Amino acid sequence: MSNLNSNLAIYNRHPFHLVDPSPWPFMASLSVLVFLFGLVSYLHGFKVGNFLFVFGLCILVLTSVVWWRDVIRESTYEGSHTVLVQLGLRYGIVLFIFSEVMLFISFFWAFFHSSLSPGVELGMIWPPQGISIFDPCQVPFLNTIILLLSGCTVTWAHHAIIHGNRNQGILALVFTILLALLFTGLQFYEYKIAPFCLSDGIYGSTFFITTGLHGLHVIVGTLFLLVCLVRLYNYQITAQHHFGFEAAAWYWHFVDVVWLFLFVSVYWWGGI
Amino acid sequence: MKSVNTIVIFLITFGYEVIYNDAPVLWQTGFQDPATPVMEGIINLHHDFIFFFILIFVFVLWILLRAIYFFNSRVNKVAINYSHGTLIELIWTIIPIMILMTIAVPSFALLYSIDEIINPAVTVKAVGHQWYWSYEYSDYIGENGEIINFDSYIIPEEDLEIGQFRLLEVDNRIIVPVNTHVRVIVTSADVIHSWAVPSLGVKCDGIPGRLNQISLFIKREGVYYGQCSELCGVNHGFIPIVVEAVPLDNYIDWIQKKLYA
Amino acid sequence: MESLSTAPRDERFPHTNQTRNCWVRYVEWKLCEEKHGEEESECKKFGRWARALCPVDWIERWDEQRANGTFPGPSGESS
Repeated sequence: MSNLNSNLAIYNRHPFHLVDPSPWPFMASLSVLVFLFGLVSYLHGFKVGNFLFVFGLCILVLTSVVWWRDVIRESTYEGSHTVLVQLGLRYGIVLFIFSEVMLFISFFWAFFHSSLSPGVELGMIWPPQGISIFDPCQVPFLNTIILLLSGCTVTWAHHAIIHGNRNQGILALVFTILLALLFTGLQFYEYKIAPFCLSDGIYGSTFFITTGLHGLHVIVGTLFLLVCLVRLYNYQITAQHHFGFEAAAWYWHFVDVVWLFLFVSVYWWGGI
Repeated sequence: MKSVNTIVIFLITFGYEVIYNDAPVLWQTGFQDPATPVMEGIINLHHDFIFFFILIFVFVLWILLRAIYFFNSRVNKVAINYSHGTLIELIWTIIPIMILMTIAVPSFALLYSIDEIINPAVTVKAVGHQWYWSYEYSDYIGENGEIINFDSYIIPEEDLEIGQFRLLEVDNRIIVPVNTHVRVIVTSADVIHSWAVPSLGVKCDGIPGRLNQISLFIKREGVYYGQCSELCGVNHGFIPIVVEAVPLDNYIDWIQKKLYA
Repeated sequence: MESLSTAPRDERFPHTNQTRNCWVRYVEWKLCEEKHGEEESECKKFGRWARALCPVDWIERWDEQRANGTFPGPSGESS
């Protein structure tokens, strides 16, 4: 019997989490390979690319779900996430968000490169000759307010969790997720009525790549917050131990800040 | 042979005959001879900097060698256990900063003087292609709308004549007048190229959709050789640049001939 | 042939990048021609400067675009 329990943290003589063998890292890398191979094939017009791209993406999502399910089990049921392990997770999330910031910087770079000295093909003006753009004071400004408000509600949820007020935490998280869905819906509406498209020039390319990547991050952040809501509902998030929620909140604030930069530079400054 | 050399050295020494070096030579490590004020400035700046570099190199080498010689387990049986000293660290941070700031002053002065465009009398456009340069002299239009517009290809190795440079000669040189302000507009028709001539002290990227401007003021007649200096594909190494500087009258003759030939 | 002259230095474009210089000279040239006709000496001067700065290919492409009504810059009809 003691043998069975040997990997439980309470029997360990160190604070570290030595992970068990798992198929998910292998599955994840394999699915990323298929996903990328499919994407590149698709972009080059190969017939099989379309299928491989979606197939790889599905396997990747499934692998992520089961892998992170295992992480939650290790944390909540096995108690592997000691204070020291949580510190490591903090560093990990910070570095992850930093890498995301650098990713966004590269796309902002493309935007500023093209908009600060527009080529002769664009009429040497930005927005390019003949492109009609969104009024930043309408839906984009509404979206800014929605995201800022969701930043407030996620902080409300954080304080509620710290003070052990589960009901208010659930309420605030539900508000946050509803605001996030509202944001995504409004972006979807804007994309539908956009008078330019991804492939009709540098304006559409930079616009849809920057806002599209941000929209993708909003969706991921919404799912992250949704997982936290489910875990809070299931009494898994406590006043003492809630790093999963904190990581989701950091991520959400990061998405929020990226939107502010997007709004100010792409929608507002880029439309003057 | 030796006596010929002696005579040449004698003549060069006393200024009777000067042979300029406007193309690379075997195992060359120094500069080609300058033909523009810009290149003279670059060479002078380089030599000024080398003075500082030699001082720093000798000083640092001396410290390192002393450290190796005096501080080892054989000489110092008991290890000294300090690892930092605030005063020495301040000194070796602030002094290099001051040296860098000092040498930045002539560097920036030169940089901005290179960018300065004096009202030019001639504009030449150099357009990079995969893999040749084409040149346009659009200041002049013939009576029937003729323009001067030609391509400049490398001369293949098997067609070289005695005395010509391998991989450096072209079929159509560009001709520019000496002692005249010349504007060169560099661009490209496909990928990024770079128009560079060492003796003239110019190196300018040719970027599709963009026009870059450099200015030339060539002080002496001669034939100046350069090469494409931005990796532009498999034949990047085979699109040389040849600039021939001639007196103004010869330049005008050449233009006339080009326009009405 | 005229005496040696080319597009003068323009204080509005002091940088290495002269793309906008060429663009503005071309637009000025064409607007001038639309307003005063091709024989006007001022327009000819602008034309000389534009040709000095812009690659032949660019001018040909822009002329074509103007003929097709797809030129991205200002033209007489729109202003």
